[in-house]
Amino acid sequence: MNTNTVNSKKAIAQLTIVRIIVYIILAILTILCLFSFYMLIINSTRSNGELQGGFTLIPSTHFIQNLVNAWNDSSINIPRGMLNSFLIAALSAICATYFSALTAYGIHAYNFRGKKFAYWFILAIMVIPSQVAASGFVQICYKFGLTNNYLMLILPGIASPVVFFYMKQYMEAVLPMEIVEAARVDGSNEFFTFNRVILPMLKPALAVQLIFTFVASWNNYFLPSLLLTKSELKTVPIMIAQLRSADYSKFDMGKVYMFILLAILPVVIVYLILNRNIIKGVTSGSVKG
Amino acid sequence: MARVILKDIKKIYPMSGDQKKKKAKGKKTEHKTGNLQITDKGVVAVQAFNLDIADKEFIVLVGPSGCGKSTTLRMIAGLEDISEGDLYIDDELMNGVAPKDRDIAMVFQNYALYPHMSVYDNMAFSLKLKHMDKKEIDVKVREAAEILGITEYLDRKPKALSGGQRQRVAIGRAIVRNPKVFLMDEPLSNLDAKLRNQMRAEILKLRQKINTTFIYVTHDQTEAMTLGDRIVIMKDGYIQQIGTPQQVFDHPANLFVAGFIGSPQMNMMDGRLIKKDGKYAVELPGTTVVLSEEKQARLAANDVAEQEVIVGVRPEHVILTDSGYRGTVEVSELMGSSMHVHLTDVHGKDMVVILNDKKDFDKFTTGAQIDLTFTPDVVHVFDRTTQKNLEW
Ligand SMILES: Nc1ncnc2c1ncn2[C@@H]1O[C@H](COP(=O)(O)OP(=O)(O)OP(=O)(O)O)[C@@H](O)[C@H]1O
Ligand SMILES: [Mg+2]
Repeated sequence: MNTNTVNSKKAIAQLTIVRIIVYIILAILTILCLFSFYMLIINSTRSNGELQGGFTLIPSTHFIQNLVNAWNDSSINIPRGMLNSFLIAALSAICATYFSALTAYGIHAYNFRGKKFAYWFILAIMVIPSQVAASGFVQICYKFGLTNNYLMLILPGIASPVVFFYMKQYMEAVLPMEIVEAARVDGSNEFFTFNRVILPMLKPALAVQLIFTFVASWNNYFLPSLLLTKSELKTVPIMIAQLRSADYSKFDMGKVYMFILLAILPVVIVYLILNRNIIKGVTSGSVKG
Repeated sequence: MARVILKDIKKIYPMSGDQKKKKAKGKKTEHKTGNLQITDKGVVAVQAFNLDIADKEFIVLVGPSGCGKSTTLRMIAGLEDISEGDLYIDDELMNGVAPKDRDIAMVFQNYALYPHMSVYDNMAFSLKLKHMDKKEIDVKVREAAEILGITEYLDRKPKALSGGQRQRVAIGRAIVRNPKVFLMDEPLSNLDAKLRNQMRAEILKLRQKINTTFIYVTHDQTEAMTLGDRIVIMKDGYIQQIGTPQQVFDHPANLFVAGFIGSPQMNMMDGRLIKKDGKYAVELPGTTVVLSEEKQARLAANDVAEQEVIVGVRPEHVILTDSGYRGTVEVSELMGSSMHVHLTDVHGKDMVVILNDKKDFDKFTTGAQIDLTFTPDVVHVFDRTTQKNLEW
């Protein structure tokens, strides 16, 4: 009895120590992550002159000024750029996620000749660096006069082995074939089953992948900068690069920071919207065990 | 009207590459799949399956794990291809017809409810797919919910229900459709014993309310006996016997059926079938039982010769006597109105005897020697090698 309480006290003490260490590490990581955001906000309140002067943690007073300057900059059109970026990012995210889920479902739920080959082939594509694939792609676009066409930025995203792999893994974990079979017996055709029964069950995975693909596309500079030449089609990352490379007379670091701050807002909003859908246990209760 | 005919149905699961390699190496896969036949094409899960199911009949497929019950049911549902043979529903060949066009409903062992839909939507799903009028759907769903007593849960999601309630929803999803054939794959095996008994009774009631053809899979012989109009007993992909519960209980076709049906299990003793004054009798150490007229006639019709046999007698058909077949009491279990006595017989085999007379109960302390005999009309004789019932 006595030794028991002593032991349990010891165990509790050990547990507390472990917890404290874990929390300290987590706190440090959180601070590291948030620090860059904090610096971004601080920097967006400082004027170009102050920014040249060096680094500080204290906010300054030029927030409105920077906002007005960035908004009125004649070389860029912020609302237009954000709209362009949003259009491309949202459409690629939706296409990539939906079609990857569809592909993954095809490989997960059906038995057909060459299924294993198809699976490994898709995964093998992951190994190819996107820059390598892009160079050929850009050439094709120029040859066929497909530059300045958003479809060229949206459609290739459909073939997304990483999203496919994630979806496949998720399905293996949560998708019992009985549910598919129940839907079949209930009179649903395969496509309807996928859209109405399977997709809702994949919600958490879909939300995660929508966020990832959205952010990746939103931040994408490489391909758009090569394919979009018309100024009214340009996306946010291109515009930010433009601001930074402005000539000496126009150069204003305050504007750049302000634009970056504005640029991350949609991402934050998308995250907050989808975040609610990442609930665990959406599938629990459908099938025993 | 829904008559279901299965004609010489066979199912072969193709072996994957790995399995083939293993088989070539050392025939190890055969252990894994029990005693299923393995051919070059793959594992034969079901074969020579012939069954004619009448309209509105309640058929139960029963057998040990891995014997091919689910496979058979899934072939009827269309979820699994039929390798060979023909399946007819209402005289229409169904082999190539998709599940959704077979007009069948199925209840799965682990419910398989749609997790993101409410109970109501789960039940309405198939009706919506038929483009049924909304009001009509509402009437049907509520009616089914009423029958199953789940009206108050209609708005809940499956995860907020208990196992028994989920099972009801799964059944409800099937009955709203008013299908030609009702398929159930071990629908009660996930429930606890009490709930299982309760649901079993409800399925019986349900059956009276929705008069349609049922095909029910279970590995539980009690369920099979209480629910089925006819029982199909399967083993290793083969049908062992088809018959009414009474038939399979009274006249098991072979040792397997004899042992599978009935609880506690039938006692199997080594004995000899002899002819005494032109009459068949079984000779056991200590006792000789002359068989009943009925059995005499059947054995004579088969022209059975004197031979070593396995003698089967159900525990409830064993009678106490002063001098007979000897057994030593191992343990006795008092079940209230009766007592189950576990014995070892002269050959060292286990036996069970059920006693109903309270006066006898205190005689059976561990180690006591008791003498048994059997009434002539309940003794079964089985061939030692083929294990078939010699009366058949
Ligand atoms: N996809 C498959 N590939 C190969 N063999 C299979 C496949 N599905 C089932 N089998 C085999 O077929 C046999 C019959 O399986 P089935 O599921 O019909 O058994 P069951 O009688 O329903 O058993 P249980 O009571 O355990 O559900 C089993 O031995 C199993 O190993
Ligand atoms: Mg089964």
